[in-house]
Amino acid sequence: MSLPEDGLVRILEDPQASVFQKAKACQRLAAIGSKAAVAPLAALLADPQLSHYARFGLEPNPDPAAGEALRAALRKLKGSLLIGVINSIGARRDAQAVDALARLLDSTDTEVAQAAAAALGRISGLRAARILEDALRRTKGAVRSAVAAGALVCAEGLREQGERERAMALYQTLMRPDVPKPVRLAAMHSTFAAETSLRRAR
Amino acid sequence: MIVPTTVLGQRAGAVPPSDRIVMGGIGIGSRGAYDLQSFLAQKDVQFVAVCDVREERREIVKTTVDRHYGNRDCVMYSEYRELLARGDIDAVLIATGDRWHALLSIHAAQQGKDVYCEKPCSMTIAESQALAETFRRYGRIYQAGTQRRNAGNFVLAVELARNGRLGKLKSLHAQLVEGRSMPAVPSHDWLPAEPEPSKLVVDWDRWLGPCPWRPYNHLYVQGRWRNYFDFHGGSILEWGSHTADLCQWANDADDTQPIEYVPEGTNQGPFAVRCRYANGVELVMRDSGWLGLGTCSVRFEGEDGWVETGDTSKMEGSDNIREFLRPVSDYKEAMHHHVRDFLNCIKTRSQPRANAQVAANSHIVCHAAYIAFQLGRKLVWDPAKAEFVGDEEANRMRSRALREPWRI
Repeated sequence: MSLPEDGLVRILEDPQASVFQKAKACQRLAAIGSKAAVAPLAALLADPQLSHYARFGLEPNPDPAAGEALRAALRKLKGSLLIGVINSIGARRDAQAVDALARLLDSTDTEVAQAAAAALGRISGLRAARILEDALRRTKGAVRSAVAAGALVCAEGLREQGERERAMALYQTLMRPDVPKPVRLAAMHSTFAAETSLRRAR
Repeated sequence: MIVPTTVLGQRAGAVPPSDRIVMGGIGIGSRGAYDLQSFLAQKDVQFVAVCDVREERREIVKTTVDRHYGNRDCVMYSEYRELLARGDIDAVLIATGDRWHALLSIHAAQQGKDVYCEKPCSMTIAESQALAETFRRYGRIYQAGTQRRNAGNFVLAVELARNGRLGKLKSLHAQLVEGRSMPAVPSHDWLPAEPEPSKLVVDWDRWLGPCPWRPYNHLYVQGRWRNYFDFHGGSILEWGSHTADLCQWANDADDTQPIEYVPEGTNQGPFAVRCRYANGVELVMRDSGWLGLGTCSVRFEGEDGWVETGDTSKMEGSDNIREFLRPVSDYKEAMHHHVRDFLNCIKTRSQPRANAQVAANSHIVCHAAYIAFQLGRKLVWDPAKAEFVGDEEANRMRSRALREPWRI
């Protein structure tokens, strides 16, 4: 689809346009959409058939309005469409969404809670680390597994951000015997890698 | 108590159950069936489970496995997470359509499994990176289904490039599928909608997986999913995942990618993407102009000589290297060696030839070439930052949002 952005937006706003046309417009807007495309894409986030296409268009859009639209959708959507938005926020590593994601860790929809844990892990940072560590103490079952996996990714992010000590402490937490085995082993593996790295502080 | 000799592994060539690698398979279709036979032939493998969204496929694989072992033990799943949750399974064979490869591999690693996965291993640059990161993070073993890394003729060609017999390397050539049968960039169209079958027969939602929704059509499910943008990386990913991968190896560039990508030609062929490494070596991914030594050919050219080989196992080269063109094994044996490489590494916890990092870098090369061809312009790539230089549109094509609820 070689239409310019305004032509693509008109397709999204045209009630006569087909699902196929709107889907392709969203996909093209992923590459070229600006702030002007954000509202028309966001309007499709609640559409079960086009919600993913809307995120396809929004997720790589660097304009801050895209982040705002996704964060706003956290309050409006439920179920799998909400999970999709959480996943896109995680993919964008949107630090402004940390508090909203923290609240979703307590969602009664355990799949939503798992998605929130994964997104917090990808966003990383000291605050996300604290939230995940706290959640590790109070969550159970599949949510706890997701929290542990999220914390593992979070620790890696902390290392990349220069927060080595905090990362190593998080790995220690994840090495406890009650943490799911794959994550526990990965935390040991990561600790070993960090402690033997030639780039470690000596 | 009488203990059978098979349990103790005392029969000649037998492997005791405790030493066997327990495996499951996900999405075993036509190519997967070939892979499966290679695994079943290994005495230290015990295949115990299969998962597929198609009932017919589940039954076929179970029958194959049960017949091989003379029992009825292979368990069928339609939900892959149930298979991955089994604590007795050490490794999985993933041979679904391309759209599922990275996601399933990542989920398997997160469940503590080692993975053999068919190629292309990813749909995007972001998936390639996530694949490598996850296997490193979890310390799991991954082998991409790029078996030419263990094929005698290709290995010899790479050795000649790396040991100086060809002189200083100038250019590396990677064959792509001819454009007239597989375009460089696939179609964005949808096939006409048909009524969805029962989820028990084909779970269409699960078949689509992380890809954008589109209406059901039986042709996709019957193998005609290639050449559609949402499911397939076109000619460049189809063979480039093998041949650009070998060029990466020949250039001792398994830890990086070329820094420049220039597309040439038309989508239906002939086409090429000319790439350049930081060390000045050129990588030419092209669909035509080959000597006819078989599919997935590669050609390495240096200042002192050249070598070309393909899936026929025949090798051609300049006069000065002709005496060396005697590969120790035929391409037909590649699959066996590649599977053995994977299984041996599971036991030793060392890295196989087509490990996740190697596969990720090779696939990033292909995806970068694919994006350059899509955009129809030269792209400059920064391997350290994993981004295109000064091209936002290209950078936005490095990833695609996955359909809910899937994530990597």
